[in-house]
Amino acid sequence: MTRKNPTGGHPAAGAPTEAPVRGAADHAARAGAAGAVGTFVRAVAAVSTAFGMLSVVLLLLAVFVVCHMVLVRYVLVESVIWQHEFVTYSLIAATFLGSPYVLLTYGHVNVDLLPHYLPPGARRWLAVLASILGLMFCAYITWQGWYFFHEAWVDGRTAGTVWNPPLWVPYLTLPLGMGLVCLQYVAQIVALIRGIEPPFGIRDPIAGDAP
Amino acid sequence: MSELDIGLLVAAVTIVLLLLGVPVAFALGLVGIGFLVVFDGWFAAEFMAQQLFESLDSFALLSIPMFILMGGVIASSRAGPDLYEALDRWLYKVPGGLMASNLGACALFAALSGSSPATCAAIGKLGIPEMRKRGYPAGLACGSIAAGGTLGILIPPSITLIVYGIATETSIGRLFMAGIIPGIMLVLMFIAYSIVAARIWGHEVRDPNLAYTLREKLEVLPRVGPFLGVVIAVLYVLYGGIATPSEAAGVGAFLCLLLVMVIYGLWRFRDLWPIFRDSMREAVMILLIIAAAEIFSYMMSYLFITQTLAQSVAAMEVSRWVMMGYINLFLLVAGFFLPPVAVILMTAPTLLPIITSLGFDPIWFAIILTINMEIGLITPPVGLNLYVINSIAPDVRLPTILKGTIPFFLLMVLAIVLLSIFPGLALWLPNAMMGDAI
Repeated sequence: MTRKNPTGGHPAAGAPTEAPVRGAADHAARAGAAGAVGTFVRAVAAVSTAFGMLSVVLLLLAVFVVCHMVLVRYVLVESVIWQHEFVTYSLIAATFLGSPYVLLTYGHVNVDLLPHYLPPGARRWLAVLASILGLMFCAYITWQGWYFFHEAWVDGRTAGTVWNPPLWVPYLTLPLGMGLVCLQYVAQIVALIRGIEPPFGIRDPIAGDAP
Repeated sequence: MSELDIGLLVAAVTIVLLLLGVPVAFALGLVGIGFLVVFDGWFAAEFMAQQLFESLDSFALLSIPMFILMGGVIASSRAGPDLYEALDRWLYKVPGGLMASNLGACALFAALSGSSPATCAAIGKLGIPEMRKRGYPAGLACGSIAAGGTLGILIPPSITLIVYGIATETSIGRLFMAGIIPGIMLVLMFIAYSIVAARIWGHEVRDPNLAYTLREKLEVLPRVGPFLGVVIAVLYVLYGGIATPSEAAGVGAFLCLLLVMVIYGLWRFRDLWPIFRDSMREAVMILLIIAAAEIFSYMMSYLFITQTLAQSVAAMEVSRWVMMGYINLFLLVAGFFLPPVAVILMTAPTLLPIITSLGFDPIWFAIILTINMEIGLITPPVGLNLYVINSIAPDVRLPTILKGTIPFFLLMVLAIVLLSIFPGLALWLPNAMMGDAI
């Protein structure tokens, strides 16, 4: 099994990760891929990364709003109106919109026992199969999520609370985020078949290294 | 097909999907939707997107990314090495003191970061080379840090216990309380073993003339103290029921961020970005599994599998301790392949009715489960801590590290046995502090 080396570079920055950030290394591989396919794969990676940054911004926003809420509630002893819902929705948005980036960087934890013991050729087809299975779920959720959003949009549904935000805004992040995960999966499958990207992000496996 | 047959089929399909390498979140969601469609038609799966959204629509979940961020911020600072150095200066004269300061630093850092691999990395980076320099065998040095690191998921605040609390709707404050005494017990067991082992196999090299002045002993404290202060304050607020875990963790994350910017001078974008990025990746990973696991357990109870399973286990003519043994064995095997959070989210909703119908306390079970998951962190094939150690001490071969962890593995099993005999070790503190469970 290859070493689970957290991010490298920064001293302990990689520590909280469950899996290494392999995306960065793979960008180099992608950059080398010429033609329309290479452009497509790079473009999707750029979109996923942009939404990953947006997800970070949403999480940080949640930190500040929670602090603001605590200040209002416990120090100024006033009632909070919008903060509760806002942080909950920004957390949901961060989860769905951050997912394509997490997929890009192999952060969605999986059991990579079998891939490590397979020869590279078989490993690639296993990666294609696993990606298609993951894509099936995400595509179904995107499809159903679209109706979920569309209904709230057409009916003009609101939360029915004091703040009363329109519900289509948080609902939209579900089909949008999962749709981008689908896109990222398609790019990943294309990259796998063209040999642009190593299967499961495993770069130089030494089979039998694991005890 | 009976409910139990369907249940077996669910287990088989899930295992196959996981072994194929499908991400845990997507595999759970796919199995959930797939079984609903096959056994009850498309209409049964119609609201699954909504289910996915609604399972995340909870303020309590915010505590997960907030604690991850807080731990990530602390882990990225020099707090780990500082803590280690502080303890070493205090315990230098004590025989076997280095072992004690390493494991003590692990326990303290575990409390700060809430993450096992982070603890391993932070303490091990200094601790392992230092122990080997002073004559401890490599296996013992690596094994003790690998095991000490696992305390991260037991000693509060622990992400694993938060996830258990959310998955089973048990009080997070109570769970945190329950982790304290078993956590301290494990540290003491680890320290006792390490000192004995060091006496037998190692030759501790100490410079008898080297002594630290009181000033040197104290100078590290101002840098570590504030973090400890923030974490203790967060826990105090949480236990006291003054604020919700999400609020406490949010303010804690903000304060820790402020502290690393001031004390360690991390304020540039390129310093902070990796912390934010990695916290986001871990939080998104966990939250998506939480959401998908909801679809999975919805399917399990919609098809009546959870209920039937609990009933048939309760009707079995075996002693409840034999059953507990099987459950632990099952969890142990699951922990060999999957990270703790994934195991808990997949199994807790199904196991909890069984546990309570057998008359076990869900809080007590959380601690048993967590120690069980700790074992998974130091066993192959996916023992996260082993690979962290492997990357900070590349010249020590994996089999050597493994041999070093075996005694600690046995100590954890012993801890599970002790907790089974004396459930009060876990339950006394939460009951004494927060009143008896309802």
